[in-house]
Amino acid sequence: MRSHSPARWLVIKEWRELLASRAWWVMVLAAGPIVGVAFTNAVATYADISADPGCGIVCSPLLGIWAPTFSAYEIVAIFLLPFVAIRSLTGDRQSGALTLELQRSFPVAGRVGIKGMVVLGGWMIAFAAGAVAVALWASYGGGIAAPELVVVAIGHIMNAALTIAVALAIAAMTDHPSTAAIVTLAITIGTWMIDFAAAVYGGLWERLATYTPSAFISMFQHGLVRVNVVLIAVVIACAAIAIAAAWIRPGVPARRRAIETAGFAMAAAVAVILCAAIPGSWDASETRINSFAERDEEALAHIAQPIQIEVHLAPQDPRRTAFERGPLAKLRRVRPVDVSFVSRTATGLYEQADKGYGEIRGRVGQRTGTTRAITDEALVEMLLQVAGVTPAAEMETPYRGRPLAVHAAGAPALFFFIWPVAGAGMWLWSSRRQS
Amino acid sequence: MAGSRTLSVETLRVRHLSKRFGRIAALQDVSFSVHAGEVLGIIGPNGAGKTTLLECLAGTLASDAGSVDGGDGSALNSAGRLAKLFYLPDAISPWPSQTVRWALQFAAGFLRGRADEMDDIIRDLDLSAILDQRIGTLSKGQRKRSVLAIGLLAPQPILVSDEPFDGLDLRQTRDVGAALRRRAAAGRTLVLSIHQIEDAARVCDRFVLLSGGRVCGEGTVDELAARAGDARARDLAEVFLALT
Repeated sequence: MRSHSPARWLVIKEWRELLASRAWWVMVLAAGPIVGVAFTNAVATYADISADPGCGIVCSPLLGIWAPTFSAYEIVAIFLLPFVAIRSLTGDRQSGALTLELQRSFPVAGRVGIKGMVVLGGWMIAFAAGAVAVALWASYGGGIAAPELVVVAIGHIMNAALTIAVALAIAAMTDHPSTAAIVTLAITIGTWMIDFAAAVYGGLWERLATYTPSAFISMFQHGLVRVNVVLIAVVIACAAIAIAAAWIRPGVPARRRAIETAGFAMAAAVAVILCAAIPGSWDASETRINSFAERDEEALAHIAQPIQIEVHLAPQDPRRTAFERGPLAKLRRVRPVDVSFVSRTATGLYEQADKGYGEIRGRVGQRTGTTRAITDEALVEMLLQVAGVTPAAEMETPYRGRPLAVHAAGAPALFFFIWPVAGAGMWLWSSRRQS
Repeated sequence: MAGSRTLSVETLRVRHLSKRFGRIAALQDVSFSVHAGEVLGIIGPNGAGKTTLLECLAGTLASDAGSVDGGDGSALNSAGRLAKLFYLPDAISPWPSQTVRWALQFAAGFLRGRADEMDDIIRDLDLSAILDQRIGTLSKGQRKRSVLAIGLLAPQPILVSDEPFDGLDLRQTRDVGAALRRRAAAGRTLVLSIHQIEDAARVCDRFVLLSGGRVCGEGTVDELAARAGDARARDLAEVFLALT
């Protein structure tokens, strides 16, 4: 008999259990067609856009192909992955395997971590459908900017890791898998409600919404990596693993588990608040979609005095959302900025006639300026004028796009036939091999 | 009745264990001792608190009061219990999609079990024919024997098993009982919860009689008969009825 370390035994055991899990095979089988639908639609839309010779920034594979194609994994992460993770823990608990395994002295958090890593490994296999899409795109002659593609992939992998950790914590805390599934879905719906409240009410909800899974994924799908968001995801995942460990440890009274859980949650909340203040981001997009022009960034960085911006737009005014996610987000990446929003109502419908509604007012030192446009150029121009800074001459070559008008040849056969058939065949082979 | 060996080295002492589930007192001031190398039977009717007692003993369930002391008299913490006890719950079907062979290998490997005894255990529990069957496809009796094999492979000196004969037919009960006796003869301490008094009488050296969450008696059949005030009683069932 082979001699392995306890951790390796657990990895082997978890892997064998994953291969025997119908939930995992269903996820893998479903991933192909879901990615296939997203990819073929994206290629068709991209072909339509590419017909315009001046498509420019719109003809970016990041936004045109990778974001929609890999968004398929957002669906898989919401509707399939949590159940694979829940099954991996509750299956052991219901069968009595966990009671036996926990009688081997081994850190419980390490045990949950191994379980999570193996499920993540299983997710990576489902992720192969995305790799097939990349290979197909390359075979069509489509351009690939590696950094932005890697960022998109990392975003989805991190989202999967976070989903797995939270699902494991919920599975550990609940008595039955169906309860765990209901709670997991409730949390997902809760994050959707935060997104909705952010769109309607703005303010604190909007701040909160920047940390929901959909915002998290959206950031990576735009080729942006923000240090604080990544750290917060890591903190939440670690806290979830610690909570899961607290709840599967045998012989601990429920009261103590609850106290430990509250302790981990509070520690995580403090860490999240601290992490939120950490600056730093990386725009990996080929089009620099998350950034001002380099010369503008340099000029803005040279402004010595603090910048204050007053936005006279209501939370539900679409211009406010566009301004916040566009120029304001780019400005925040360049330097700290003090922003305040002014409005009488949530919708702004009855403020349109108010004097000053719709204005963006900038202040640098004692000097002020105003613009009503919500574009990058308008904001930068206003601020530089107010600060009295002149940008350097134009240096960058404008992005001309990577237009490609092709049909997604081979994709339907690969994603809708070969992937499911090959997957089903491997499932059958695997189940026979294990017996 | 099993052997009549003289067993004096105390390896565990349970002191005043109590456990409540809401208004129900599952265990009330339960105390008894376990001697090294003995087969101790925890016997009692359904609902007596046997499973709760074993779970509290193994540490998988927190008791409200009381302690489990080691041979040196000091209370065992969770790490101490992990080193000393291995608990096999009743009615479990661990790793149902894996084969019996793999489960035994995992038990021997991950649990750092008695790999050198694996062949003997497989033979004693008559598992050869089902080694390549998945645990989830086994009959109740086959599953019980497979799980028992995992327990026997575990490295801990004390094996605590809940209803080890449940689901076994007469022949299997006899064979498994003999296998357990052989393990005890080799120095393994066994604490078995058994609700069939005839099975307990056949396998165990000493008994703890449990009824309504209380210990009604502890000792050999003779000792229990003496306590019951009926020295003529030689049948465990009669003694049990007299004491509970």
